[in-house]
Amino acid sequence: MSASPPLIAVEGVGKRYATSSGPIEALQDVSLSVGEGEFCTLIGPSGCGKSTLLGMLGGLTAPDRGRVLVEGRPVTGPDPRRVATVFQDPGLFPWRTALENVEFGLELQGVPAARRRAVATDLLGPLGLAGFAGKYPRELSGGMRQRVAIGRALAIDTKIVLMDEPFGALDEQTRLLMGEWLLEIWRRTKKTVIFVTHSLQEALVLSTRIAVMTARPGRIKSVLELGMGYPRPMESPELVALRAKLWHDIREESLRAMGGDQ
Amino acid sequence: MTVALVRLGLVAAVLLAWEVAGRAANPLLAVPPSATLPALRELLLLRSYPDLGASLLVTLREIATAYALAVAVGLAVGGTLGMNRLLGRAYGPMLAALYAVPAVVWYPSLMLFFGLDAASKIAFGFLLGFFPVTLAVLAGIRQVNPHLVTVAKSYGAGPLTVFGRVVLPATLFTLVGGLRTGLALSVIGVIVGEILGSKRGMGALINHAYGLLRTADYVALVLVTLALIVGTDVVAGLVERKARAWSE
Repeated sequence: MSASPPLIAVEGVGKRYATSSGPIEALQDVSLSVGEGEFCTLIGPSGCGKSTLLGMLGGLTAPDRGRVLVEGRPVTGPDPRRVATVFQDPGLFPWRTALENVEFGLELQGVPAARRRAVATDLLGPLGLAGFAGKYPRELSGGMRQRVAIGRALAIDTKIVLMDEPFGALDEQTRLLMGEWLLEIWRRTKKTVIFVTHSLQEALVLSTRIAVMTARPGRIKSVLELGMGYPRPMESPELVALRAKLWHDIREESLRAMGGDQ
Repeated sequence: MTVALVRLGLVAAVLLAWEVAGRAANPLLAVPPSATLPALRELLLLRSYPDLGASLLVTLREIATAYALAVAVGLAVGGTLGMNRLLGRAYGPMLAALYAVPAVVWYPSLMLFFGLDAASKIAFGFLLGFFPVTLAVLAGIRQVNPHLVTVAKSYGAGPLTVFGRVVLPATLFTLVGGLRTGLALSVIGVIVGEILGSKRGMGALINHAYGLLRTADYVALVLVTLALIVGTDVVAGLVERKARAWSE
């Protein structure tokens, strides 16, 4: 466990969805705590409830059992003062420019126009979007759009950033570069990141901790602590060994997910 | 260019047919264009109907009021039904069914209720304009990308903010069409209302000329009213094009 007190505590959480073919147990007795400044990755087979768990942390989904605490207080709904979310689909507003999209959260918080414009403009540089402030989402590439979405989340300057497969729709090379870029941002801003991914490599290169989830109903199968620094060369013996261990756990669950559920 | 020529060709053909038929018919009941032009001149020089300007103003004011009400109430009702699933499922189909009723059947009760003055015309123009605006808002909301709503909620947007910041801009493309149809129908509502019974406005003048069998004046008044209607629609069309280009 991390030495810092838990910023996020998930306690015995369960969730069941009603579907036309009967109820589906998405999560079962999930407990997890994440300390301040951690980069915690959730990984597991498709449909294991990673996104559901993230939705609970963001206040978009309510648990049926157990509770989710952020800074000791139960989450009852979205709380943009403490938690920002980045989704797999960037979800940019097509009628807003890149800059206006980044300003969105500040606008809802009633930040004066001049102030939010300054904050958003300052963010565009490190986002690699300095020359694209006035462009509309349809004029940007996939990677740029996702960076705008990340900028929108960073603009409201929350302690916690939730990322639901933010690079899942990008090609491999863009994805690697975006990972490097995100790492730099995270190390500079010292935010707490909860990151959902399907990519072992992404998880190994980025995380301070990796939580492997089981096939449905989702539980935490194992937690991997990664003590080493950054950047992490993929070929280092340490990482190769961790990769084998991680793959062992995930493989087991992915096989169950493929065999058990049609 | 060719389109304009074909268009003018039809206008010329209609005018020619009108001239021929008009000359053949009883001059009390029908007038050819050649007899209409002098009447139109007299009308525009404020000789035959000196209160033409005031009447135009009355009609325009009624249209503006009716349309403003139709847009405001239409946005509110359409927004509420679109944002609330239960209400939308309960009342949406009822609205669509009511829209199919020929609205003129309501007009006698509107006159009884609001009297012969402007209020009944405004009410009728509102009633006609309200439905297309409301239904366009409803249809627009149904095609809003739900993910954008989720994103806005995650940034703390409540229902009103979601409506104003996400749903309205996202539906603008669909909405402008409904707003334009609503304007056309509000105009029709007010003018039909005036013709069916009023003391002031273009409809009242038309009724007066028609009732006294001043057929040439009657046709001239209809032409002025037509110009008014075409004018509003041209303006609405320009606004629509601008809005579409922007929201695309």
